[in-house]
Amino acid sequence: MELRINQKTYQVDAEADTPLLWVIRDDLGLTGTKYGCGLAQCGACSVLVDGNVVRSCVTPVAGVVGREVTTIEAIEADEVGKRVVAVWVEHQVAQCGYCQSGQVVAATALLKNNPKPDDGQIAAAMVNLCRCGTYNAIQAAVHDLAANLATPAAPAGGNA
Amino acid sequence: MSTRPYTKIAGAVVLAGLVLLALLVWYGTRVPTSTLADEGSDTPDAALIQRGEYVARASDCVACHSLPDAAPFAGGLKMATPLGAIYATNITPDGATGIGGYSLADFDRAVRHGVAPEGRRLYPAMPYPSYSKLSDDDVRALYAFFMHGVSPVAQANKPSEIPWPLNMRWPIALWNQLFTEPGSFAERPGQNAQWNRGAYLVQGAGHCGSCHTPRGLAFNEKALSESGEQYLAGALLDGWYAPSLRNDPNTGLGRWSEADIAQFLKTGRNTHAVVFGSMTEAFNNSTQYLGDDDLAAIAHYLKSLPGDPQRDGPAWQYEVADASAFSGPGGHLYLTQCAACHGRDGKGQVPWIPPLAGATSALTTAPDSAINISLNGSLRVVSAGVPDAYRMPALRGQLSDQQIADVLSFVRTTWGNRGGKVDPQAVAKLRAHTDPASPTPIVLHMR
Repeated sequence: MELRINQKTYQVDAEADTPLLWVIRDDLGLTGTKYGCGLAQCGACSVLVDGNVVRSCVTPVAGVVGREVTTIEAIEADEVGKRVVAVWVEHQVAQCGYCQSGQVVAATALLKNNPKPDDGQIAAAMVNLCRCGTYNAIQAAVHDLAANLATPAAPAGGNA
Repeated sequence: MSTRPYTKIAGAVVLAGLVLLALLVWYGTRVPTSTLADEGSDTPDAALIQRGEYVARASDCVACHSLPDAAPFAGGLKMATPLGAIYATNITPDGATGIGGYSLADFDRAVRHGVAPEGRRLYPAMPYPSYSKLSDDDVRALYAFFMHGVSPVAQANKPSEIPWPLNMRWPIALWNQLFTEPGSFAERPGQNAQWNRGAYLVQGAGHCGSCHTPRGLAFNEKALSESGEQYLAGALLDGWYAPSLRNDPNTGLGRWSEADIAQFLKTGRNTHAVVFGSMTEAFNNSTQYLGDDDLAAIAHYLKSLPGDPQRDGPAWQYEVADASAFSGPGGHLYLTQCAACHGRDGKGQVPWIPPLAGATSALTTAPDSAINISLNGSLRVVSAGVPDAYRMPALRGQLSDQQIADVLSFVRTTWGNRGGKVDPQAVAKLRAHTDPASPTPIVLHMR
């Protein structure tokens, strides 16, 4: 089947019910997306499908044929994603980092759908698990970005 | 002097009682005639054994007569009854502990009449009220398979835990008289061959009614064929709601096509649902092994059973849920715990992950299935040897009774679903009842 991932077209030989995560990591070698629980509980495997966040461990690959998938590898090709990465660096959010690609993807999806979320909306949307407990830093980073997103991107936004 | 007539009367009453008792015991232990009594038990050919294996698959004998990860058909499964626990028996051809000594007629009497050698009545946990409809040919084949296709296992049967005098078996003969139908399946002349084949499989080997037909006070199935309106009309059993298999659009198969039904029984999933609860075992061990013609026949027969609008209500239609629908605690829980798989729109990712919008478990007033699968998750669905890629996780450790009640109340009142709200007390009850660590785990009645 033919998949569109990060603006590229891939030919993939997989069963229809194969989880998208396995195809991304094992078949295509895009290992920035992480395997966490495999049960849609933790969010480490979050990717964007047509701009919405999905958990790729519970997404049958056949369901994304004809749709645009974005993984952490290409998140900075997105204007909002680029600013999320910048603010993540600014706030030094990550500790071990394992869950962070999923966190960045989730934050990007939130801000693309709702550029000015209030703190309640941020808490409601940022439900990915982090065993290091970086929740406060995540909340602060998204809060900052939500306040600034109406204004154009600052050139000094340190880039990873 | 005046006491003498009373003594006489009392004597007569006692005598009459004794005669009646003797008659009952005779009736309750008599060995019924088998239509296969005159046949020998010659070594059968391979084709007959293979045919018997197919009948055993269709009858799902292994579901009760085996323990997980143990030798097939060696028995031992514990089943709770209202009177006490009983154990499924060893039906391997072992001479001492199994059925190795059974003649064809003995086997026939056990399978179709519920009578073991010496006239001992089987408990109707053995679905002989359904198996009684098996044809002579299928019983012959089944016997050939169990005698020559199954490896003998020496494993003694466990005695039942029903106390005296409730453990006397002969009254079951009276139950049989009241609640079973004599004779094997008779084709209905007005119906075509496919319908009759489907009826034969559903009523007989498939014993679908054991779970899907509501039961009466004596634990009898309220109907054993389509002649009764309650046949396969849906029932609560073992903590699950076994849905209606009639043409009820909400609690039954009204929105399913014949192809949908056949696909469900062959692959365990379709665009409406994925097998869960007790049906997972029926699928894993039985229905997927049936031939396409038989599955089509089953589907054809089931689609001929009319629904009951009175019981089922107006047909479900999808309703869009806007953002405000998710504002309560149940809606928020849905978004964080359920939506990643089942979708914000409740439509699932069919056929791999089932929709909750329009799901039977969200439309029936019985919340048991919804609660049970939320607490305990789903069993592994193995289709053609391949385990499922997606499985409902058990949330009993993560969500409280109140949270499960909240999220299920949301699911059961959104997208046009109208099963209704769920009481946290009902969750607490089923949580205790299905806790594998509790002293009184799930009561397994019948399958």
